[in-house]
Amino acid sequence: MTRKRSLDLMRTVLLSALSALLVVPLIILFVSSLKGTRQEILADAGSFKAFLVPHPTLSNYADILGPKSMTPFLKYMANSALVLSGTVVLTLLVSSMAAFVLLRGRFAGRKLLLGIITALYIIPNETIMLPMLYESLALGITDTYWVQILPFVASPLFIFLFHQFFSQVPSSIGEAALIDGAGPARIFRMIYLPLNGPALATVAILQGMAMWNQYLWPLLSTNTDDFRPITVAIASFFGSDTILWNLAMAGSVMMMLPILFFFLTFQRFFIASVSSTAVKG
Amino acid sequence: MKTMKRSRITLTEAAMLTPALVLLLAFLVVPFAMSIGLAFTNQPLLPGPIPTKFVGFRNFQRILGSIEFWHAFLNVLLFSAMVIPLQCGFALLSAILLNGQSKAKRFFQAVFFLPYITPMVVVCVVWSTLFQYPSGILNALFSALSFGLFEPVQWLHDPRTALPAITMLSAWQAYGFQMVIYMAGLQNISADLYEAAAIDGASGWSRFTKVTWPSLFETNVFILIITAIQALQLFTQVNILTQGGPQDATNTLVHYIYRSGFVIQKVGFASAGSLILFLLIVGVYALLSFLTRKNPVGENS
Repeated sequence: MTRKRSLDLMRTVLLSALSALLVVPLIILFVSSLKGTRQEILADAGSFKAFLVPHPTLSNYADILGPKSMTPFLKYMANSALVLSGTVVLTLLVSSMAAFVLLRGRFAGRKLLLGIITALYIIPNETIMLPMLYESLALGITDTYWVQILPFVASPLFIFLFHQFFSQVPSSIGEAALIDGAGPARIFRMIYLPLNGPALATVAILQGMAMWNQYLWPLLSTNTDDFRPITVAIASFFGSDTILWNLAMAGSVMMMLPILFFFLTFQRFFIASVSSTAVKG
Repeated sequence: MKTMKRSRITLTEAAMLTPALVLLLAFLVVPFAMSIGLAFTNQPLLPGPIPTKFVGFRNFQRILGSIEFWHAFLNVLLFSAMVIPLQCGFALLSAILLNGQSKAKRFFQAVFFLPYITPMVVVCVVWSTLFQYPSGILNALFSALSFGLFEPVQWLHDPRTALPAITMLSAWQAYGFQMVIYMAGLQNISADLYEAAAIDGASGWSRFTKVTWPSLFETNVFILIITAIQALQLFTQVNILTQGGPQDATNTLVHYIYRSGFVIQKVGFASAGSLILFLLIVGVYALLSFLTRKNPVGENS
């Protein structure tokens, strides 16, 4: 019994040490964002002072959010939020409908089609970025929200995930509804969507995280403040010769806050979503 | 009657399937086909005086003959060799510590997962303060741990430390993913195996080497492959923090492709590079399906 207790103690000590190691950078981020100048942030960076802020100020936040800001940060943030919501909603709709038809349809070749779609997952985004840019130019959609939304809506990974989730629903339920005269659209809407809340949550979380992080594609496909995302705004504090540490810190905290809120509220779903991608192996 | 109903169903089904198919075609299949085509041409990014023409395998020959490509490839291998043990070691350790029921589990799990939800841009901002020269926290920490023997380094500006620095922040950011996968893997190990080991009088360490580690074979293969593929695609942190420098020390395959396409503006050349990257990734996936098929543990269970 004492042995077990000492093991438990050791485990807790180890866990606490690991957590401390992991959160230190995030604590420094939050603390630094409240320091007045970039000189103060840098001077304090190497000691315990990095964790202290004797005179907390919101001036960095005022600088990036206020009307005098050199980058319209709020606009960039709103752009990201808009692209994220648009993509998530369309992905949930388009990918789930496709998965449903590929699972419950009766036409020949649907298994082959699912196989081909799943195989497309192997194509890395980086491989097709240049041709996608040509295409967007030809379609006249560069520097819009659409150019940041449409390429990610139909995703082999999410179609596959929906297919996996939907195949857990007993097909007898769908067949009973079919006999009652319900069409596939109705069966999909009334039975498959309501029964698959976790699937919708999983895809929404994975896609939401991916979209909030989008960097290279928007950098290439947009070029005005009107459509560029928050990642590009933060990187811009960074690009010049003197790094604007104070603004970069405040901007980073602004970018973290919404994810932190969603994560703390839906922690279980976040972790379940990530492990569900392992089903693919 | 029945046939009528079926044909009508197929029409609705087609309507539900079409958006996905059109988008997959437009933003995945067609660009990929274009990429293959462009790889055999001398297409520039912007239309120039030289007409675009078919050049055969010249782009591939030039890439495979260039020092910059092999340097980038070597960097990706080095990065994998450092990041895989670091990231997976910590991930497995945390998963084992969190395995089983405890009140604090949910709290620690949330804390361990925080870096993974942190956007890469934010990770870059924070870690570049940690890397500051001479008085950043990493320099201070290493110098304190070595009683002052450690000379402060310019982490991101020194060719010897730039790639290890990128490795540290990447491992910190991504390790929550591996941890979650390991936790799922640990939960799948049957309690009978541990009971049998306990009856045989196995100690904690031999329980790990005889039961836990062999049972994690499939999880390990999966994690290894996924991490290797992510390493092949390393880009964002390099682009923000070092642009491949200093002296190409952090150049990666994707950064090499990006530079050929957008800085040097040789689209044909960059497309050929993309295809080489694609083939490498296909190779890694092929290895995955080969290894999981040949697995003796999987056949038993």
